[in-house]
Amino acid sequence: MAQVRLSGIAKAFGKVTALDAMDLVIEDGELVCLLGPSGSGKSTLLRLIGGFETPSEGTIAIDGVDVTRLPPERRPTAMVFQSHALWSHMTVHGNIAFGLKLRRLPRAEIRERVERVLDLVGLSGYGARLPSQLSGGQQQRVALARSLVIEPKILLLDEPFASLDQHLRERLRDEVRDIQQRLGITAVFVTHGQDEALAISDRIVVLADGRMQQVGRPGEIYAEPKTAFVAGFIGAMNMLDGTLADGEIAAGGLKLPAEGSGPARLAIRPEDIALSEPEEGRMVTVRRMIDFGSHVVVDSTLADGTHLRVQTDKAVRVEAGERVGIRVERWTVFAEGEEPRRYRSDTVRSFRDVRYA
Amino acid sequence: MIAALRSGVAGGRLSGLLLVALPVALLIWLVLWPVLQAIVGTVYFPGTGFSTASYAYFFTDAYSLRNLWLTLWVTALTSVLRVAVAMPIALYLRFRSGPVAALVQALALFPMFVPSVLVAYAFIRVLGPNGIVDTILVALHLPKLASPYLTPAGPIIGLVWDGLPLTLLLLLSGLGRVSIASVDAARDLGAGSFTLFTRIILPRIQSSIIVTLAFNVLGLFSAFTLPFLLGPASPEMMGPYMQRTFSDNADPLNATTQAVITFAFCAAFGLIYVRAIAKGRKAPA
Ligand SMILES: Nc1ncnc2c1ncn2[C@@H]1O[C@H](COP(=O)(O)OP(=O)(O)O)[C@@H](O)[C@H]1O
Ligand SMILES: [Mg+2]
Repeated sequence: MAQVRLSGIAKAFGKVTALDAMDLVIEDGELVCLLGPSGSGKSTLLRLIGGFETPSEGTIAIDGVDVTRLPPERRPTAMVFQSHALWSHMTVHGNIAFGLKLRRLPRAEIRERVERVLDLVGLSGYGARLPSQLSGGQQQRVALARSLVIEPKILLLDEPFASLDQHLRERLRDEVRDIQQRLGITAVFVTHGQDEALAISDRIVVLADGRMQQVGRPGEIYAEPKTAFVAGFIGAMNMLDGTLADGEIAAGGLKLPAEGSGPARLAIRPEDIALSEPEEGRMVTVRRMIDFGSHVVVDSTLADGTHLRVQTDKAVRVEAGERVGIRVERWTVFAEGEEPRRYRSDTVRSFRDVRYA
Repeated sequence: MIAALRSGVAGGRLSGLLLVALPVALLIWLVLWPVLQAIVGTVYFPGTGFSTASYAYFFTDAYSLRNLWLTLWVTALTSVLRVAVAMPIALYLRFRSGPVAALVQALALFPMFVPSVLVAYAFIRVLGPNGIVDTILVALHLPKLASPYLTPAGPIIGLVWDGLPLTLLLLLSGLGRVSIASVDAARDLGAGSFTLFTRIILPRIQSSIIVTLAFNVLGLFSAFTLPFLLGPASPEMMGPYMQRTFSDNADPLNATTQAVITFAFCAAFGLIYVRAIAKGRKAPA
């Protein structure tokens, strides 16, 4: 139904470059999350797709039709805003019916479609209320319904649940995913929460400083980050500054096999480290043990004081100050200007060419 | 414990009263007392007793009534014109940004820093007889236009210009409560500029518009400088009329009567103003 193709998109506000060199294809029926820290250009990208901004460079096509210069109302998109976008002087019904009335649909059809979409977002019977008589979560459901009722091909959501508490946020994001799948529409979801992105996306676009860092499926981005930024941003990660020499990387007193030379960053996930017998060059001092119930995280320090987080089995018990050995099972080395190199302890060979399955 | 709480509450009330005491005292001394004096002075005469003759005179005197009507008419038209001119500027400033918007804002607020007397003389130099507009028309061999100087249109043009900044600021503060996202959402669903204004923006700034109108009316009804310098000699607006009755005609009784009547009108508009503000407070943004 609806494919979005961005080609060579750049957007500058005066001297500020909000987005640069964006090439991206969002496939029909896909839910793509734009993930990145605040100010990375997520909203700008979404607003470009929705027609609220025009790119400084590049083109945007929807289903092969160039829409770069079209205003929002002439694109098959509908946007859900972060908050305060409901019209407080209209009832819930009035808010949702607005887009349909503009399309001059018959009254009976408007009423029926509003009822149906209210049902879809779980707000049947709330039509006569004013937005101020709803909770924050209900208000965002109305905003969602208002966008869905006009049957857009592409749903755009700009951190729609950012102002809600965690539980509600989790429930609503799952509902959005559910509705998106049921209606089979394309969706672009902006978030700065990696959990949110990992939980609902078909693919994630990681943005930083207005540039695309990586595009991929959630598991892929987690397992095979392409840049040090992505490695540090998605999921828990130990990022250590080290030096490559003699087939080894030395970082904070830790030494691991690695090719190359010069400065590099060593990335190790806490779950890729196991506790083991003490051994020279593989020792840490326990600072604190954090018991999450399902697993245990050991906050420890390397010989030079660098922090290292280790995730282990919930049965493990260690004491603060205790010296324990570690075994690193997987690690990734990021050297400036080179592709990341991934290693694992059982083979100790670069497996950067092995695609994530 | 409860006693302490009570005295705390009582203490809060006391300091609250003290806080409002000064402005209230000033209000009584500078406003209510002179008003009361004026009212009493126009209806009670030591020696002869009560008489409403001066009011009867005002409301039967054709000239006084014409002045009152002119004042009401100029006030109404000027208030509406101010809002009509300031609204597009306010909308532009609220929903656009950048260097052009900054320039527009500076230009629109400029009149605030120009004293009324200067406005009047600038007006005369530009629009008055043999002013710049006339000179240009003559140079181009075009027929002269009737100058608005010394007609009711004179003070209206001057007053609109003079009151534009404050009107703009009042409207802008009202528009501040309309979020950009709510306007974007309406655009997204297909609302054009007209629908956007009438269905989304206007309903949410209604009370601000009433406040703005009432605020303008209050100031305009007793405006003096611009009507005095730019307006016709007859009929005249209440401000110049009062001044002339008082000093030129040396008739303090009728001047005071005119003042009381003017005050009564302003008080009525003041009531609308206060009510609109109270309503605006209650209404969710
Ligand atoms: N209308 C605008 N005018 C000027 N700068 C803007 C505007 N919108 C966004 N920016 C700038 O563009 C960059 C990206 O902003 P944004 O897309 O809102 O980031 P995000 O949504 O990821 O937090 C920021 O540096 C921001 O200051
Ligand atoms: Mg944003």
